[in-house]
This record gives sequence, structure tokens and C-alpha cells, in this order.
Amino acid sequence: MASAEQTNPQLLNGRISRAGILSFLSAQGILVFFLLSMFVFSLFSEQFLSQSNIMTVVRQASIIGIIAVGVTVVIIGGNLDLSVGSMLSFATVLVVDLHDKIGPMNAILVMFAFTLLLGAVNGFLIGLMRLNSLIVTLAMLSVIQGLVLIYSGGQNVDIANQDGTWFAFFGRGYVLGIAVPVLLFGLLALLMQIVMSYTGYGRRIFAVGGNPMASVYSGIRRNWCVFSTYLISAFCVACAALVLGSRVMGSQNNVGQGYELLVLAGIILGGTSLLGGAGSIWKTVIGVLILGFIQNGLLLMGYPYYTQWIVTWVIIILAVWLDLANKRKRLLTTHS
Amino acid sequence: MFYKTALATSVLLLASGIAHADSTYRIGITQNNVGVDSYQTTYERAFVAAAEANGSVDIVVLDAGGDVARQIGQMQDLVQQRMDAIIIWPTDGQAVIPAIRQANNAGIPVVVTNSRIADAGMDFIAAFSGPDNVEQGAYAAEMMCEALEGEGQIVQISGQPGYTTAIERAAGFEERLAELCPDVELMETQPGNWNRERAQRVMEDFLTKYDRIDGVYSGDDNMGVGALNAAKDAGRAGDIVFIGATNFAVGYDAIARGEYYGSIYQSPVDDAEAALQTALDVLAGEEVPKLNFFETPKITAENLEEFDRPVF
Repeated sequence: MASAEQTNPQLLNGRISRAGILSFLSAQGILVFFLLSMFVFSLFSEQFLSQSNIMTVVRQASIIGIIAVGVTVVIIGGNLDLSVGSMLSFATVLVVDLHDKIGPMNAILVMFAFTLLLGAVNGFLIGLMRLNSLIVTLAMLSVIQGLVLIYSGGQNVDIANQDGTWFAFFGRGYVLGIAVPVLLFGLLALLMQIVMSYTGYGRRIFAVGGNPMASVYSGIRRNWCVFSTYLISAFCVACAALVLGSRVMGSQNNVGQGYELLVLAGIILGGTSLLGGAGSIWKTVIGVLILGFIQNGLLLMGYPYYTQWIVTWVIIILAVWLDLANKRKRLLTTHS
Repeated sequence: MFYKTALATSVLLLASGIAHADSTYRIGITQNNVGVDSYQTTYERAFVAAAEANGSVDIVVLDAGGDVARQIGQMQDLVQQRMDAIIIWPTDGQAVIPAIRQANNAGIPVVVTNSRIADAGMDFIAAFSGPDNVEQGAYAAEMMCEALEGEGQIVQISGQPGYTTAIERAAGFEERLAELCPDVELMETQPGNWNRERAQRVMEDFLTKYDRIDGVYSGDDNMGVGALNAAKDAGRAGDIVFIGATNFAVGYDAIARGEYYGSIYQSPVDDAEAALQTALDVLAGEEVPKLNFFETPKITAENLEEFDRPVF
């Protein structure tokens, strides 16, 4: 993975050799796959590549994308976060419910504070107490869903005056012709990509995820690094809740159910290894977009819902297999 | 989960409190998934309230949390506790039948509430009480024909795939639509899973795919309002007739604003009270028909004032 991030020397010296093309393909396979799948879908549906459809898909994908940016950082740091779906339900129910009670600005502030607090709980248990992230976040998935039900008493929450609130900006607004959710997704992704690639902090996260012991011996405060990744993840969830609540102007208790899997699907499709220490934000962005375009493309082609899930996960398994096959230079392995 | 457990425990305490009074019947209920939506939450409250108001029943309230296996376990528990009658809101119309059969064999009458079970299980139940979802779908088709004056192109956003209510509402709608106005073409159906955000996404894709959509039928108002959101955003809401089922507060308000044509008024309070009454009638030895439907009328801008705004 790490070598794949490097600029390929064979492409830089002006001559395109066969080996150069092959190594470009293997390094940027996911991008090639993305363009190829776009092409195939456009053959079957004339609306698929229309500007309005592309804008629709990118906007739909942005909620998952915003969360995936945060979870990618957690995964690069060598951990998992399965609690983001419940956390999204929690944050959305909170901000929508409080909107009419204490005003949009206060609602947003309270929502961010509580969501970051949940992130801090994750961070404390996993970073500082060094508990297994799979178990902790799986537990938090249920715990937070329980909190949502206690808070709302099982009732749906709605914003009464949908047309007269500036809260509508986050899910429904446009800036310079670009939908605000897309803008938020883009800005967050860009920011985190810069942080992960060009700052000492980003390099420390890679080090912690790649080789925890070595990172400690080289003086990195591993515990706090892990702790901080969960704050980033929670912050991204809070941003996504802003978009989701504003877009729907209401919330069910289980609105975020299943998002953790969609987010993971996007990340895996992008090619970030679940083992930590490798990966990148922009790959996740592409993975999330592929996921969005696959689901939209299948729907435009008139396939029922069930097919979307099958096709999506078949493609994910295919992508993971090809990635592995590329690394070991053979399609099948004959010995264990 | 905590909420559910806390609620169930408090009800159990309540029930044991009542037991000291002169109670006649002990009725157990296992619900589908309280807390997942406002309808089910309101249903549970109304059920507990109705039992308290009655005074001569002693209830045990359980919730399966949407899990079939857990619901089967709860049925067996209620049989073990020798309830006089059991009310079940099936999580799955097929898988719960063996558990219902066990209760029936133990001599405990079973009343199915809200959502029907498969025909194979009908012999083992004392009665069904709930809305007629096929009829609701047919009502929605009638409103659609009326609103479009017999001609147009429409799409459907259905409920959770595999869930009886979703299947019946879609079937009733499609059948009556074809009979009543064959010139209204149902172009496509996709599930919205009772989820507003999901319905909104499906509608966005429909709007991209079809340049002309004259009407949308949604399996409930929660999804219908999601579809309305999408159409408003695309600037096409004015051209589209929106019809839902199970009128939610948001749907009620949208009808009042003139953005939403109509829906079906289904009260969870009526639903809960009808279930309890059916069980009591069975226990009193009355002749109870197998299928007991409570009234679920059409609601449009014309008769909106006759109905209270739904609490969910």
C-alpha cells in the first residue's frame, strides 16, 4: 500500500512503457474501476451521466462520505468504529428535536458537544484503556441506540416550520451552484487528506496504525493519538447529522441504522486496509462515490432493492480479491 | 433497549400491583418493535391505558424488538405463565406460527394484532384484530384515480420488503388501480423501508429517471413526506399528486398546506383498544369473527377537520 502512494517514476520520465501502464493500473486500480463502472452504467441508462443525476448521487453519497472520512482516520490508526450508525441516529434525533425547543444555533452546539462526548467515550475506552475497538464500538452501537430511545421515548421528531429556518441550509442549500452537503464532504475530505499526508500528526497516526510498538519506542504518545481519531470520527458524524437532519427535517430513532456497514463498504472499496497503517482519504472518497453510483445506477436500470445489496457486496469482495491478487501477483493461492 | 426494558419492567410491576385487586383475566402481549416508530410507541401506551381503564384485566407487556426468535421465546414464556389470553403483534407472518400453535394447544386463545399472519396459521388463532391493509391500499388507489382524473403515470414507494403490511398495501393498491383506472400506469415500485431518508433517496432517483411523474403512492406518510421533500427540492412538487397511508402528523400538516393530496387515517389508539377488546370478547365466550377490522377512513383536505392531528 505504502509504495502505491508514491509517484511512479516510470510515468514521470515521459516515456510510457507497458510496465509503466501495468504498474499505473495496479496502483490506481480503484480509479480505473470507477471510470469503467461509470461507463458501463451509462450504456444502460441515458440519464446516468446527466449533470443532474451526478449531482443527485454525489449529494446522496455525501452523508456516508462525511462519516467515512472520519472512520478512515480511525482505521488508518489501527482501529475500527462500528458505532457511527447509532451515533448518527443520536446526533440527528438530538439536533432535530432541540431545533424547535432552543433554536437552531443552540441545538447545533449541544449536538456537537454530546456527539464529541460519545467520541471521547470511545476514545477513552479504546485509546487510553486499550480495549479492543471492535468490541467497544459494537457495544457502543447498542448503548447509543438505547440512549436514543430513552431520549425520544420512541417518538419520531420533526421540525415544525420546515421552510422558514436557516437550518435548511446544511441539507438543502447551495453555494455557487454546489449543494452544501457536497461542499461539506469535499472540504472535510480535503482538510483530512492534507492533515494525514502533510502534517506530523497524520504521520503519527500512520505510524501508530502500522506498528504500534515501534511508534511507542519512537516517542509517539500512542494512546492519545488513538483517542484523537475517535474525536475526529465523532466530529464527522456530527457534521453528517447536520446534513441528514436538515435534508429530512425530521428523524426516526433508527435513522442511522446500517450506516456503519455502508461506511465500511465505501472505505474497503476505496482500498484502505482494515489492518491499519495504510490507506488514504481520497481513496475513501472514490470508494464512497462508486458505492453511490452503483446503487443509483442499478435503480435507474430498474433493478429491485435486493439486487443492489448483492451486487454491491459482490463488487466489494471482487475489489478486495483483485487488490490481494495484485499484491501477491497471482489470482489464486495454492498454499496457505 | 434500556427504555424498553424499563418500560416492560414498570408494566410488570404495575401488573402485579393490579393483581391484588379483584382481577379477572390475565392477558399477555408480545409486540413487534416498540420504540422503532411512533405508531408502535403510541400503540403500547394506549394498550396499557386501556387495560388500566378497564380495571378487570391484568397485563404482561413484552416487546420482541423486531426479533422473530425473541418473540417465539416470549410466546413460550407467556404460555408457561398460564395467561388467559395472548395477544401477538407478529414480527413475521410465517415464522411465529409454530409458537402460536403451541399456545393454542395449551388451550390459550391467541389474538393477532395489527399485522396478519399467513393463512396456514389462521386455524390456531382465536381472532385477528387490526386494520385492513388490503382495503387501505384500495382506498389509496381510489384517491389516486380521483386526483388524476383517471389518467397518468405514477410510482410507488413501498414499506419493508417481506413485511405483511407492506405487501398487503401494495397488493390492494395495485389491484384496485388496475380495475378502476387502467389508464393510470404504475411505472415502478421500490421499497422505502418505512424510512423517510431512504424514501427521499428513492424519489430523487425516480425524478431523475422519469421526466414525467403525475403521482406517488407511499406505504405510509413518513415515506410520503420524504418523497415530497425530494420533489420540492427538484421544483416538481406542484406537478405531482402525493398519496400515503397511515396518516402521520407530518402528513396531516402537509395535507393542510395543500402539498399532499390524501392519506389513510389509522389510529394506533383504535388499534390497541380493538386488540384488547377482541381478546376480552374471546375470553367472555362471545362469538368473535376471525377477522376484526377497525375503521381506517380516507383523509383529504376536504375532511381534514373531522380528524385530530395524529400524535406521531
